[in-house]
Amino acid sequence: MKKKVHLQPPDHARRAFLKRSSLALIGLAGGGLPGFCGADRGGVLHIRNYMDVSSLDPVSTVSAAEGLILGAICQNLLRFRTDGSWGTQLDAAEWFEQTDPTHYEFRLKPGQTFTNGYGEMTADDVKFSFERLVDPAMAAINAPDMGPLSHVEVHDRYSGTFVLRSPYAAFAPIAVAGPSGAILSRAAVTAVGGRFTTQPPCSSGPYSFKSWQAQRKTVVERNPDWTGAEAPFSEIHIYAMPDDKAAEMAYEAGQLDCAQISVETVGPFEKDMPPHSSLRVLPSARNFWLGMNRENSALADIRVRRAIQYGVDVEAVVEAGWFGLAAVSNGPIPEGMTGHRDKALIPPRGDPDRARALLEEAGVALPLRLRLDVINKARDVTAAQVIQWSLRKVGIEVDIHAQDGGTFLTIGRQDLGDQWRDIQLFTQDFVGMADPYYSMTWFISKQMGLWNWERFNNEEFDRLNDLALETGDEAERGRIYRRMQDLMEESGCYRFLTNGAMPVIVRTSIKPAFRPDGYALFRDFRPFWNPA
Amino acid sequence: MGKFVFRRILASLLVLWLAVSLLFGMIRMVPGDPASVMLGPKATPALKAELAQRMGLDRPLVVQLGMFYAGLARGDLGVDPFSNREVSDIVFEQLPFTLALVLAAIGGASLLGIPLGCFSAIRRNSLLDRLTGVMSVAFIAIPSFVVALYLLLWLAVKWRWFPAMGAGEAGNYPDQARHLVLPAIALGLGWVGYIARLVRASMLEVMEENHIRTARAFGLPERTVVVSYALRIALLPTVTILGLGIGSMLSGALFAEIVFSRPGIGKLLYEAVLSRNYPVVMGSVLATTGFFVLCTLIADTVNAVLDPRLRESPGN
Repeated sequence: MKKKVHLQPPDHARRAFLKRSSLALIGLAGGGLPGFCGADRGGVLHIRNYMDVSSLDPVSTVSAAEGLILGAICQNLLRFRTDGSWGTQLDAAEWFEQTDPTHYEFRLKPGQTFTNGYGEMTADDVKFSFERLVDPAMAAINAPDMGPLSHVEVHDRYSGTFVLRSPYAAFAPIAVAGPSGAILSRAAVTAVGGRFTTQPPCSSGPYSFKSWQAQRKTVVERNPDWTGAEAPFSEIHIYAMPDDKAAEMAYEAGQLDCAQISVETVGPFEKDMPPHSSLRVLPSARNFWLGMNRENSALADIRVRRAIQYGVDVEAVVEAGWFGLAAVSNGPIPEGMTGHRDKALIPPRGDPDRARALLEEAGVALPLRLRLDVINKARDVTAAQVIQWSLRKVGIEVDIHAQDGGTFLTIGRQDLGDQWRDIQLFTQDFVGMADPYYSMTWFISKQMGLWNWERFNNEEFDRLNDLALETGDEAERGRIYRRMQDLMEESGCYRFLTNGAMPVIVRTSIKPAFRPDGYALFRDFRPFWNPA
Repeated sequence: MGKFVFRRILASLLVLWLAVSLLFGMIRMVPGDPASVMLGPKATPALKAELAQRMGLDRPLVVQLGMFYAGLARGDLGVDPFSNREVSDIVFEQLPFTLALVLAAIGGASLLGIPLGCFSAIRRNSLLDRLTGVMSVAFIAIPSFVVALYLLLWLAVKWRWFPAMGAGEAGNYPDQARHLVLPAIALGLGWVGYIARLVRASMLEVMEENHIRTARAFGLPERTVVVSYALRIALLPTVTILGLGIGSMLSGALFAEIVFSRPGIGKLLYEAVLSRNYPVVMGSVLATTGFFVLCTLIADTVNAVLDPRLRESPGN
């Protein structure tokens, strides 16, 4: 084979290459200079969402992240208030009222339209949107949100009645105002085969769906067919950013106008605030608690469980895990919601002397060695270490077992084997919704081995849980839920730690809006010069 | 040569099958329940059962593996049980981002590392050689995620020369290239030093060989001797390492994708493992393993082209 030898290599080619490469690099770097500015980039709002969209069909949304986007592009009959308090206000409905414990009547505002030529929103669209969630053939993930909804009766073009099989006091806040209650066009959804994922066939909110790019962002744009006040931003770019640190740096780099940040960054940001920014620490509706498995032999004696309750210094746990930004919790129901308790039965700082006395009374040989299962997140492990430190002071040695979320969520499950018998202490974290029912129903006896890993079993609690759903009077519901939380605490199975905190950083040129649980209401964000 | 490539393809398919089967078993041995992870308390027993049935989790592991390969033979990677989207769609819309990142990183590292190593070998013990040596070790020693974070802090956050997140607007290639710069540097910087050291060592060895002395004795220009004779041989181990390096970069791409909030197969796989989304895990594993096997196949073939002894050896 003849080999080609360059006795005089083509030097001009090398120089040309170097020249072109240099120009390309300068072009790339230079091209990056403009374009990064603050909040008012041509009326486009750039905002972080804490995870990517899996589905925008109310039948199959799996996270609040999707609900936040649905809230901008779809109307519900009711929607959450924007003043930071729990409660609902009218959205697509002209009026909405409960006529008896199992019937809710509504009337739509006339003239509201769906995008993409799907015409006016009618009561039949409401019927379609709700009934598809309870249709067994749809196997809807979010069917539980609808509670005992039986069907929707349509009276005329704009009005109808929801018929429930049994009373469900959480119907308005969870089923109607929540993401599952987004109203879709029957014609549009039918045209795409009855269900969809990340490409909604129509919108009806102040913004309409424009595009979704996997693991990148969802873009919504001003809806020209919207009959209400014009949406203040021409577009909202909602970035899927699961990592807090990445979001914080993107905010500092000027690429985001609003981002939820981690609690540990609040301190550094307060000392060295990014330009034109303000920081808010919003409350959260989470419930973070220390659970105890009462069917484990080491914890079968209520005095041992009570000793652990008194042994844990909740203030120290919250100070370390949440950097002092979150308040100590008095129960699963957060502040501002019906049924919130003003204080827990056991003081937050605990009582180590009382704990030691209880252990002595129970005849426990010290040190008592127990296992504490936690998720391997820094916050959870830190909280566990403070619990470990607290309990060591009363003679209980705690071994921390940190594991990933996927594994952790199986440890109390009775249908997956006998490992539930071995769990002793664990920290657990549930996200609440807009009604106390959703914070409490996981602790009934039917949930034992599912989500009730403490094996808490109390007839009065179960009865009150049903009663609270049937009770329309909010004051009475509040009394019921406070009693239920007392029962949980008296059982010795729970040491409530915190309801969490949701720190958010936002440009001063933006007027943000949040639900009381800290989630952003995208459609209600406004530039500061447009307070309407 | 054809026989050599055919044998290599067979071996690659075997590696692919073994790797995918092992990972299939491993991911299912880890305890976890996809419905509970994704849906939390909304995961009712009925829903869990329905999901398990849809994902085939109620069947023996061997049957599940058989179903996976049967689907694969039909070009069907299954459906994401939560979004109901085709896994192949999900994987193939993420794969280009990771490939672009890995190829940019390894390409950039080679473009810098090979000339640096070559120059160090030719100017052995010069100031530049010593400087290159120190810098190469420093590049190798600094963990990539540290490089990524500092690049982000300086060039994106402080000076705002480059974007801090994302992969650029779809269809806007200059924008996408700009978004690629920092992650590619973070991922490839260590490899610059590594490649430079490797090329230098190989070059020093080759430059001592008889055929180089002969070429010089024939009066060939030094540039020709270095580029056409010495470098060609010296690149053999580098090409092999580059093939393997792509595998390591595929895993390294994960941190770059997280730090720079880039889409990509690493992030997809990570999130799918955490949520026990088995169909997406297997789709992602198949794509990354397939790509890695393809890279080693290409590296082997390039080596065989560069050095005929390799394709003629009895083992091949």
